[in-house]
Amino acid sequence: MTEPLLAARGVTKRFSGVVALKNVDFDVRAAQVHALCGENGAGKSTLIKLLSGVYPHGSYDGVLSADGREIGWSGVADAQKAGVAAIAQELALVPALSAAENVLLGDLTIRRGLVDWADVEGEAKRWLGRLGLDIDVRRPVESLGTGQRQLIEIAKALRRRARVLILDEPTAALSKTEVGKLFALIKSLRQEGIAVVYVSHRLEDIFELADRVTVLRDGATVSTRDIKDTTREGLIRDMVGRELGELYPRRAPRPGEVVLELRGVCARADAEHELRDISFSVRAGEVVGLGGLMGAGRTELLMHLFGAWGRRTAGEALLGGRPLAAKTPAQAIAAGVALVSEDRRRHGLILEQSVGFNLSLSTLDSLARKWILDFRLEESLGERDRADLRIKTRGLSSSVAELSGGNQQKVLCGRARRCQPRVLFLDEPTKGVDVGAKIEIYELINALTERGVAVVLVSSELPELIGVSDRILIMRQGRIVNEFVRAAATQERLIAAALGQEVS
Amino acid sequence: MSGSTTGSARDAAALAALALAAGVFAALSSDFLGARNLSMLAIELSTTAILALGMFMVILPGHIDLSAGSGVGLVGAATAVLITIYGWPAWAAMAVSLVLAVLIWRTMGSLIVTQRMPSFIITLGGLLVFKGLFWLIIRSATVPVSSGGRMNLLARLTTTYLPPAAGWALAAAACAGLFGLWFRRARARRAGADVEEGFLKTVISAQLVILFVLTMNHFRGVPVPALLLAISAAFVVIVTERTAFGRRLYAIGGNEEAALLAGINVKGTIISAYALMGGAVALTGFMQTAYTGAATTTVGDLMELDAVAACVIGGTSLKGGRGDARGVLFGALIMATLLNGMTLLAVSPEIKYIARGLVLSLAVWLDARLSRA
Repeated sequence: MTEPLLAARGVTKRFSGVVALKNVDFDVRAAQVHALCGENGAGKSTLIKLLSGVYPHGSYDGVLSADGREIGWSGVADAQKAGVAAIAQELALVPALSAAENVLLGDLTIRRGLVDWADVEGEAKRWLGRLGLDIDVRRPVESLGTGQRQLIEIAKALRRRARVLILDEPTAALSKTEVGKLFALIKSLRQEGIAVVYVSHRLEDIFELADRVTVLRDGATVSTRDIKDTTREGLIRDMVGRELGELYPRRAPRPGEVVLELRGVCARADAEHELRDISFSVRAGEVVGLGGLMGAGRTELLMHLFGAWGRRTAGEALLGGRPLAAKTPAQAIAAGVALVSEDRRRHGLILEQSVGFNLSLSTLDSLARKWILDFRLEESLGERDRADLRIKTRGLSSSVAELSGGNQQKVLCGRARRCQPRVLFLDEPTKGVDVGAKIEIYELINALTERGVAVVLVSSELPELIGVSDRILIMRQGRIVNEFVRAAATQERLIAAALGQEVS
Repeated sequence: MSGSTTGSARDAAALAALALAAGVFAALSSDFLGARNLSMLAIELSTTAILALGMFMVILPGHIDLSAGSGVGLVGAATAVLITIYGWPAWAAMAVSLVLAVLIWRTMGSLIVTQRMPSFIITLGGLLVFKGLFWLIIRSATVPVSSGGRMNLLARLTTTYLPPAAGWALAAAACAGLFGLWFRRARARRAGADVEEGFLKTVISAQLVILFVLTMNHFRGVPVPALLLAISAAFVVIVTERTAFGRRLYAIGGNEEAALLAGINVKGTIISAYALMGGAVALTGFMQTAYTGAATTTVGDLMELDAVAACVIGGTSLKGGRGDARGVLFGALIMATLLNGMTLLAVSPEIKYIARGLVLSLAVWLDARLSRA
């Protein structure tokens, strides 16, 4: 076995008393992809920051070594000199500068006091060409896609002779084709002898790429294994820390009376986007899944019923027998509808405010006693939400922006639950959420349906759609085109229906 | 966390600016720290701060009001004209002007949210229209706040002082309130709540209240505008921090789309914020006109910019969603001190304009710098 290029032995890192990493071992060797996984908040980010020199020597306990020798970096610059480069989720590029300038950032070729642009552009083109990116290097970075920007970062790192490349959730914002290209690149870099630390909680990515995988949980190493000795279930168990009976713990109660009923609803926002002749019903305690391709009208349907999209042109919707024609979300909430929207940062959270603030936002009037908010009542409700939904946070007053994606999502679910809805709309509720939090969200769905709430779930993850829904409706081009009961739903059938092919 | 470090950097910068300005003025004029001038400063602070508190509630949801300054002139002029030319009793003239101001600002708010026009443009239009109306109704002349030297409610607004004993009674009540709040926080803290006890802050605040009353009593007593400011400030602190409406202002400024989807009546909330601004404009208009002694063409000039500067110096983000009323009061104190000191030193109007412009630019620059850090 070769000497690790970079290794951490018994590393402990504290932040003002809170232990972020406990006695962690991790190493990465030449020509290997070592995956690092764990739930959000498990310590992945802290570990990669440590490995890339963000925390100077002396601010942690334990030993970091490169090529077998202990290192004493005082900052990121030292790590870069030693050949360690981290490609963060938030890329460190200058948006207004050209691709070429970004590749050679801080190291432009100077001739007689002036930048030699021909040389800079030639060099950038060469490096980007190596990574298979053929673009006009004079284009500003802000005009490029996320995948292309990532490649520019990687080119920048390789040009500085990086031997260890740390990639933090690199596929999070990429399209399928871009992911494929990135994987091919990582494999070819591995062949060239570069060591890759690959941080992700997408199991598919890990099994596709990694040679070894280390799981962190609560700041400690749970396991390090060769990928050939690892199973999906084993990895999930290590990440979540408990045996998972089933990934989708749906407990369907006996459905009650019809709560939401749509009869021939048509609605439109503009010529290109309309909902046509939508009829279906949802019973109390039932989960109805909405499947279909992107742009099939699923989000629009939920948003329309919630009073936030389009104009009704025909048909009617009934909620508990009464017409539901909300013109604003406030009216919809008052009528008994709650929504957890797809894009939690844009449409859900007030990021600069606290967890408690965000939980209370839809139900402020119920917290007021003669105009004045009852802070004690608010706190006790907030603590109840925090416990019931297992929101991991230092406290209700901490900023919601500091929370992991899964916990942010739980805050939004908590806000929706506070509205005491009769119908709950969930639009991609587990997007970008780690396995543990996903299961907690499914458990919340169970708890709500047991109390008779009707749930409409939009999801693009077919296993989730099949696993959680009692019935599944498939939408295409603004219409409902198929209905499946859970037992009859297979991934193949759902895809065929969504694409509009014959179902066998 | 980063929020509190930028907050404390801003606090330190603002405190240093105030100390520097006060130090320079005190060195250049022995009158600056005299009881008479400090009493005038208290009145000037009251007008600046009340307008700034109104502006704060408009900036919080991400809007702005550029018409406030000419509004101040217009409201004061309307009141003075009703009293002096039409012979209305002062209270009736003030009541009518107040109601009109609230309705006008409410209308501007509805135009902004229902017609989706930028508040910047609507209130810029307001600035010009109100200025024109203002000059029309006073015929570009001077209309005194009371005719023939007969005192009335409007004229008394800035010439009445509380008797010393009343000042002390108020100080005692304020100190009791401060320590009462401290006691509640301390008890909540012992019960395990996540609150700051702030004993030192309480003691310093109480000392400042006592010092203030002591100084004011050295001259003629606590001026009525200071009392109005205290009431307005308490009102705005409670509205923004302890009511659902205040929460909604912060939520809209933080993320308007998310606020809407959370079921907040975004339009109604913004319209109400403008209506409150109308109230602040009216109150400031009464005081500013009374302080000047008459409605003249320059009353209220550029006060909207002093109000914006006070908000920004006090840590309010012009993008909305961030800031607090205490910071705004402090920002208003800095602006009022600068203006008062420059007037005392008989600085020429040209230089005053330049200084106000520089302070406003500097404050916005700091806001941009610190919110990026």
